[in-house]
Amino acid sequence: MGEMIYIPTTLEEALRIRKETGAHLLAGGSDIMVQGKRGIGLHPELPYPVMIITSIPELKGITDNGDGTVTIGALTIPSEIASSNIVPWHVRKAAAGMGAIALRNTATIGGNIGNASPKGDLPQPLILLDAEVVLSSESGERRMLLDDFILGAKKTALREDEIIKGVVIPAHSFTYSYYRKIGMRRANAISKLSLSAAAVVKDGEIIDFRASSGAAGPKVIRSREAENILKGHMVAELPELKESFLSAWNDAISPHAMPEYRRHTTRRMLEYFIDEIIRGAEPGIIGED
Amino acid sequence: MLSEIVFYVNDRKTVFSGNPLTRLIDVLREDLHLTGVKEGCGEGECGACSVIKDGKLVTSCIIPVGAVNGSHIYTIEGIRDTDKGKCLVDAFAEGGAVQCGFCIPGMVMAAYALLEENPTPSEEEIRKGISGNICRCTGYDLIVESIKLASEKGGELWAK
Repeated sequence: MGEMIYIPTTLEEALRIRKETGAHLLAGGSDIMVQGKRGIGLHPELPYPVMIITSIPELKGITDNGDGTVTIGALTIPSEIASSNIVPWHVRKAAAGMGAIALRNTATIGGNIGNASPKGDLPQPLILLDAEVVLSSESGERRMLLDDFILGAKKTALREDEIIKGVVIPAHSFTYSYYRKIGMRRANAISKLSLSAAAVVKDGEIIDFRASSGAAGPKVIRSREAENILKGHMVAELPELKESFLSAWNDAISPHAMPEYRRHTTRRMLEYFIDEIIRGAEPGIIGED
Repeated sequence: MLSEIVFYVNDRKTVFSGNPLTRLIDVLREDLHLTGVKEGCGEGECGACSVIKDGKLVTSCIIPVGAVNGSHIYTIEGIRDTDKGKCLVDAFAEGGAVQCGFCIPGMVMAAYALLEENPTPSEEEIRKGISGNICRCTGYDLIVESIKLASEKGGELWAK
């Protein structure tokens, strides 16, 4: 006998089932269906009850909240995120590089966050932007920074009675933006390494500098300590501050496999981004191919 | 709470009441005998099982049937006799796109989804459009040229 499978049609029903059974959530299925795979002609079997939430309307869509923030519902698919003109560039870029077309029409942002793989494509740019995750349960809603929600590899702060409702991304206006995903091929590749970076420069002063590293540790890595080495300083000071920043970032990441490669390549990407700022590159996207 | 799944395959109403985690590909092949849908990797990586769900290309091996309630699914069998389907099938034959043929139903579905969205794709856009479909025979060039041919020959057909 397999475990129970539930298919609620409203959020209210889903929250009740979640509270009563603790059933695991299947959003698009692109992770769970492969995890439980048994072969041709056989349905996947999973050691826990599953709730298929794919068609719950309250969890879909992208909303401009009017206050500069954008909300992306948990069941929104990467192809919709990639083609939205209100979603910030780093997130669109990451969504456009996920899997291939069919995967981008199946996977969901909620699933990508809930799965909490350090190689997941969307948490990395979302954490760069200080996105918050909205968690819903029968006792109400709570919000927390995505960076705090993802605790480690495959570990999140999601309670047994909660469902990820969506993410809220605050507005940013960066002078320079950078995104790079490194995989074995362009389509259907899991990240070997990924990096987002962004900076705000005004009258030669670095008002904001931030970066986030994917697949370089048990979770996406953001180091405010390293970022603060550059923040508030002048672009003219960057050449002398660069090395201490790169060294602090290197201390913050903890790649498990192929650490030399991942450390070296992370350094190369960050150094390139900083060097472009130093040489006074045109504001906008750095290193777009 | 759904106890059975009602959906449409090639415009035919289908009711499913078994295990909702049953893979869509198994329902299509085993129950509906739509064997043009091929299983390659079984992990959504190779594209052989590609079908169109609510206008969007998906791989049917990683979609549980419990997730398609109310959906309209089209397989190669559902499009091959339409004007657009015939245009693609003829172009694939004329362009010599087919060798062993195993990837071709999925490849045609990817091409169909692409031309529906972009009737006159560039070579790069075609390559991107079939980037989730793996072919181990052809080296892709003849497939890309055949899709270009379908775009040119179909002309107005794809614009509507």
